[in-house]
Amino acid sequence: MNPVLRVTHLSKSFGGLSALREISIEAKPGQIVGIIGPNGAGKTTLFNCFSGLYHPTRGQIQFQGRSILPQVSEAKAGHIRRCALIFMVLGLIWVPLFWSFFLPDALFKLELMLLGLFILAIRFLLVQGLMRFQIWAWSLMFVFLLSDLYFSIRWLTDPFFPVHLVGTHVPLGYFSWPWGLVAGPFSIYLMIQLWARQGRQLYGFRLSPDAICRLGMARTFQNIRLFFSLSVLDNVKIGRHVQMRTGVPGALFKTRAQREEEALTEKEALGWLRFVGLEERAFDPAGALAYGEQRRLEIARALATGPQLLLLDEPAAGMNARESSRLIQLVLKIREKGIAVLIIEHDMRVMMNLADHIYVLDYGRLIAEGTPDDIRSDPKVIEAYLGGGAAHAEA
Amino acid sequence: MGFRLSGQNHSRVFLGLILLAILLPWLPLGASTNYILRILTTAVLYMILALGLNIVPGFTGLLDLGYVGFYGIGAYTSGLLAIHFDLSLWLILPLAALNGALWGILLGAPTLRLTGDYFAIVTFGFSELVVLFIRNELWLTRGPMGLPGISPPSIFGHPLTRDWEFFYLIVLLLLVVLVVVTRLQDSRIGRAWFAIRENEIAAQCCGVNLIRYKVTAFAISASIGAMGGAFYAKWFKFIHPDMFKFWESILILCLIVFGGMGSIAGTMLGALILIPLSEVLRAVLPQGLFSARYLIYGLVLVLMMRWRPEGLIPFERAQARKARVAKERLKI
Amino acid sequence: MENLLDYSSLFLQQLVNGITLGGVYALIAVGYTMVYGVIQLINFAHGEIYMLGAFLAYTLVAILGVPFFAAFVLTILICACFGIILDFIAYRPLRKAPRLAALITAIGMSIFLQNLALMIWGSQIKSYPREALPDIFFKTAWNVGDVTLSWLQVFILSITVLSMVILHVTIRRTRIGTAMRAVSQDKTTAALMGIGVNRVISFTFAIGSAMGGMAGILVGLYYNAIFPTMGYIAGIKAFAAAVLGGIGSVPGAMLGGGVLGIAEVIGAGYISSEYRDGISYAVMIAVILFKPSGLIGRQVREKA
Repeated sequence: MNPVLRVTHLSKSFGGLSALREISIEAKPGQIVGIIGPNGAGKTTLFNCFSGLYHPTRGQIQFQGRSILPQVSEAKAGHIRRCALIFMVLGLIWVPLFWSFFLPDALFKLELMLLGLFILAIRFLLVQGLMRFQIWAWSLMFVFLLSDLYFSIRWLTDPFFPVHLVGTHVPLGYFSWPWGLVAGPFSIYLMIQLWARQGRQLYGFRLSPDAICRLGMARTFQNIRLFFSLSVLDNVKIGRHVQMRTGVPGALFKTRAQREEEALTEKEALGWLRFVGLEERAFDPAGALAYGEQRRLEIARALATGPQLLLLDEPAAGMNARESSRLIQLVLKIREKGIAVLIIEHDMRVMMNLADHIYVLDYGRLIAEGTPDDIRSDPKVIEAYLGGGAAHAEA
Repeated sequence: MGFRLSGQNHSRVFLGLILLAILLPWLPLGASTNYILRILTTAVLYMILALGLNIVPGFTGLLDLGYVGFYGIGAYTSGLLAIHFDLSLWLILPLAALNGALWGILLGAPTLRLTGDYFAIVTFGFSELVVLFIRNELWLTRGPMGLPGISPPSIFGHPLTRDWEFFYLIVLLLLVVLVVVTRLQDSRIGRAWFAIRENEIAAQCCGVNLIRYKVTAFAISASIGAMGGAFYAKWFKFIHPDMFKFWESILILCLIVFGGMGSIAGTMLGALILIPLSEVLRAVLPQGLFSARYLIYGLVLVLMMRWRPEGLIPFERAQARKARVAKERLKI
Repeated sequence: MENLLDYSSLFLQQLVNGITLGGVYALIAVGYTMVYGVIQLINFAHGEIYMLGAFLAYTLVAILGVPFFAAFVLTILICACFGIILDFIAYRPLRKAPRLAALITAIGMSIFLQNLALMIWGSQIKSYPREALPDIFFKTAWNVGDVTLSWLQVFILSITVLSMVILHVTIRRTRIGTAMRAVSQDKTTAALMGIGVNRVISFTFAIGSAMGGMAGILVGLYYNAIFPTMGYIAGIKAFAAAVLGGIGSVPGAMLGGGVLGIAEVIGAGYISSEYRDGISYAVMIAVILFKPSGLIGRQVREKA
């Protein structure tokens, strides 16, 4: 069976600090995979890389068979940047040369040079900006392009075309057309590249966390991130966001489709609350819930997104024995639905009871993997982490 | 403030207020009727503006300091369209709203990915640039000479001249804006906005595209502000760059902070209390001191943040009330 | 060839004016940047402290007849105290509150102070009477062709440079400077290391406000126009300078101030003088959009 999640050679460093090194992990549908390790080993960092909150420095993440990281970033992007630089330099040389032929005093007009530099700098920054897909940069570049083309044609047909730069006596055409003829085609080339999907991945666009959620990955957080001012039910309804399609028009005009969708969402949300056992608290503010209940609410919210893979970050933290048994039952019920689960946990009883397969992290590296029994008796793991605790972790 | 409103009572209070508004011009208030109507028209106008601004810091949790820019854009759009093309108000309003939304998108798209502080500053810079532009581009806006002679709105050929006519008009606009804002609040979009306000990271991981929803909020907020400006131009019949100073943004911000950021009822209450209060100050204080009335607004902001940041009618209370309504409906 | 000399002398004069203005912006910008560094808050009221400095000096010199240099020192001290008080009553209680609340408080304070000044001193523009100022300010110090440098400009430039140097040395070499850098990088750890975080923050406010107040006196002197809304405009420009240089970085603020001052003067001279203020806004927006870390500043932190 194809894995839902396949991670290869994942590395992440923050400046000089290396948080993750060469991590390779796999999760199959309906499997429960555990991740354990001492504090600071990089477990939450790993989850953040999966859900798109952090950008890994190296490695690949394949979710449901598709890569969520850019294919080729550095090489081609660097190439484009070099081309942009060359065009810049050409413009810098060409413009004064041109002026010295047609406007003999222009060479000494220092302020015009400065202004010219300023405009060229803007264009350069816009080219940089295009690579980050900024709408503003696009539209400005388009406007520049149009004005370049216009002035080039006007200048070629009517050299004494008298539109002047604001407040000066400089004919506008003298500025933009040399640069325009050079930069124009280049900008068009870039824009076309960006439109093609390939282009976007080529220049380093990553899937944003919400896009990854839409693909089917949901998660909970180590420090509970609920929407505390909203009601419990509303929290789960927000989970249903990706399953709904209503936009501004639907909401404004209360169309039948919108009303039906709202009713369905309410039903589904209540269903998930029933699933985790929080139905009676549906209309209480989320902040009023007990700690254990809040964790279950986070899980309900994550489930409402309709995931194929659920990431649970320390779901049993702060729970007593009875609550954690309940949690174990809940996760097993989730598995029955066919959802794969990745779980970070410190509570060994929970981990050993749930996980089919465990990965052990220490200082950002994978030091062991295997079934719970393998891990329990692995000397490396015992040394790094379990210590004498292995003896207590009986099911 | 332990007064709790059930779902039913809430609509009753609201209907009562609407009734009062309709009857108001006909109440026997004597010679001061027109004066009161004008004050209330201003108050309702500010309610509309506050409801618009409320969408950004109130629903989405971002500080917008440049709201007056959109107000100004709307006012000048309306004024210029009225003067050059003699369009009717009913065409001008949607056009101004569209223009506002356009600028909201243009400004918001690149800037909403920034952190809160930078975004606030950029919006401020934008509104300053708008005012500078209005002041200097004489060929378009007549700059410091102002734009006089804007024709009043007319319904079926009858131009509106009386204070009560304008009052009804603004109340009508308020109802439209209220419907818009309430429907948005109670929909998928509203929930997405609240999620962004409460916890951006969790919202993202639940599938909410931050940029898209922030820009939408910003654009809708801008279009409401522009609509308010459009009304203002047609009502006052004269606009001038000095009417759109940065301090107006602060005033509107003050209204929503005082009333309760994020809560619709709170926002309206804030406007209803503070705007007539400002008029009272105008009557009571000498001219010099009156221009310093913003001192009070600044103080209100500081004090509210220190002692009651949730405002008069907190957001949480509105949420709790909605939950209670839903609970009654589902009988759980 | 004469043309060239004409042009260059005009240009050089503008440059000199620009550098003077830039120095003042740098003084104010440094205050913004330091406060942002330690408490990650844009102190909108900083511009008002600058304005207060101008008004205080004016009141002392023109109304109370205090000799100029004494008034200068006194005003700086008062501004420093004022900064500490501002932090204490407005920002410290909100240390743990969400960012939005602190930002709103800062704006509220700014508006409050502007209008307070308006109420106290009135909206008319104030000028120093000639007799109250030392004569030497009005003499020319240096003269090359058409480019002149007055003693006043020399005074401004030298005070500015001196303050920058002292600040730089303080931050790099003294204990309190190291404490400031520690707090700006990681407040919790600094506290754990035994650094009195609140004290350091107060000190930062004191220095920033002192420099801001000093800038106010200098500008009030240079342009001889003092009015309550001067802080608001200068504050935004100085903020633009701080952002340009990289918010949180003191050398960045100095550099940003210089660049912005020059850009503004040259822009006003050659492009358009109506949009003079607009240049700062445009620069600021451009920097924030394209390079938020500024010229020197550290990378804007990734969200965790």
